[in-house]
Amino acid sequence: MAEAPLHDGKSFDPMEPWREVRDLYMNAWGKSMVDMVNTEAYAQATGAMLNNYLTVSAPFREAFEKAMLKTLEQLAMPSRADVVAIAERMTNIEMRLDDLDAKLDNIQRLIVQAGAAPRPRAGEAPQPSKKKQTTKAKQTKRGKK
Amino acid sequence: MAEDTVITDPVTAAADRLKTLTRVMTTKAAIAQTPKELIWTLNKAKLYRYIPVLPKAKRHPIPLLLVFALMNRPYILDLRRGHSFVEYMLKQGYDLYLLDWGAPGPEDKNLKFDDYTLDYMPRAIRKLKAISGVEEFSLLGWCIGAILTTIYASLRGDEGLRNLILLTAPLDFSNRQGLTFARWTDERYFDVDKVVAAFGNMPGEMIDYGAKALKPVENYIGNYVKLWDNIEDPRMVEGWHAMNTWVTDNVPLAGGVFRQLIVDLYRNDKLMRGELMIRGERVEISRIHANLLTVIAEGDHITPGCQSEPIMSKVSSADKELFRVKGGHIGIMAGSGASKLTWPHIDGWLALRSQ
Repeated sequence: MAEAPLHDGKSFDPMEPWREVRDLYMNAWGKSMVDMVNTEAYAQATGAMLNNYLTVSAPFREAFEKAMLKTLEQLAMPSRADVVAIAERMTNIEMRLDDLDAKLDNIQRLIVQAGAAPRPRAGEAPQPSKKKQTTKAKQTKRGKK
Repeated sequence: MAEDTVITDPVTAAADRLKTLTRVMTTKAAIAQTPKELIWTLNKAKLYRYIPVLPKAKRHPIPLLLVFALMNRPYILDLRRGHSFVEYMLKQGYDLYLLDWGAPGPEDKNLKFDDYTLDYMPRAIRKLKAISGVEEFSLLGWCIGAILTTIYASLRGDEGLRNLILLTAPLDFSNRQGLTFARWTDERYFDVDKVVAAFGNMPGEMIDYGAKALKPVENYIGNYVKLWDNIEDPRMVEGWHAMNTWVTDNVPLAGGVFRQLIVDLYRNDKLMRGELMIRGERVEISRIHANLLTVIAEGDHITPGCQSEPIMSKVSSADKELFRVKGGHIGIMAGSGASKLTWPHIDGWLALRSQ
């Protein structure tokens, strides 16, 4: 059945009044909940719940971890600690590679700079090295920092 | 006239609504669609460069690096086609880079702000400089990303940082009564060492619960009611779908960082008091000289404005601006009004300082 259009062109929605009441109720509820989570009592209650959970679950977690460790040992498989140690070493290697990458980038930049500088003609006495000057200037700049 | 009226039988209409609801709640939306290339990696961190859309002559010479929070995916900055901050900034001619922290594994549980700001960021920025061929750059930090960029700017700001943009930056924790998170993580109720010892990294689900519990009715019920009310509006549904994909894609927070966040910042406000030590170096905000834009979301319940505003009087920047915008913590950058308010303002501010 087609809805009857109202004089302003919009059709009448029988659910609209219900929606308005619902939104009013949800706004009021939302505000009271925001006030509630902002209380010391709420902070204390959630803190106590988390603390109890951690205390109660700790022995089970430890027992499970020990059992898992023994199982992995018997199966000749690496434990989580072994994998973590390898991952940490990998990160260290990545850092060393990044250091090398930085040095290569620097060398490349210096080569480009040297290539851009005008070359001395044959028979001309070579000018004092600009590369050295740049390096020296940089050292002074770094020294200032 | 009768031909113009589409008569849908109520059962079919309800079935269509349910089908749409099921689709958006059980599938992932197509997000982070802007083309980019990977230029650097270290451990889980990745540095991407977005493929420019303008020729070099029309681009701003100073590149922009985006740094998002550690416990959420950064693709909120490139949420969906036609509504993406990344897409917008590329069209305005920026050379754009994104630092994606990735998800920390058990081996990363000891990572701290120290590692992120003095190992990862300087290395990524070095690569950015090498690729762009420019010694200066701009930094945009959002949420925890703004803490990282502030620490970096204080310690290494003299290494080419020209512009600093902080979005909803939780930096000042002195008003503990006004911060719900500070109340929840008070030393009387919350044993941070016990939590970190049990979990290693703070699970993403717990962080998500914390964020949602600040406004429980709105996040757990209102959000779905809003979807149901607008389920016949395809634009709204697609926006909701993309946002839901992002919200439910949680990342754990490295245990070391979580401990620093609670103990050093929420409990002792060390950053603003100038007492935060990073690898033996004191973080002094007064050492920030870069041009500064701080953006505050007026309706932010996660980072109220009082946490971001005090930095303005502490930095040594001669050029600084505080911009307040209507919206929430995420809404100011990803909401429907972002493309009309926040993005153009950031572009307008940055364009003048990127020549």
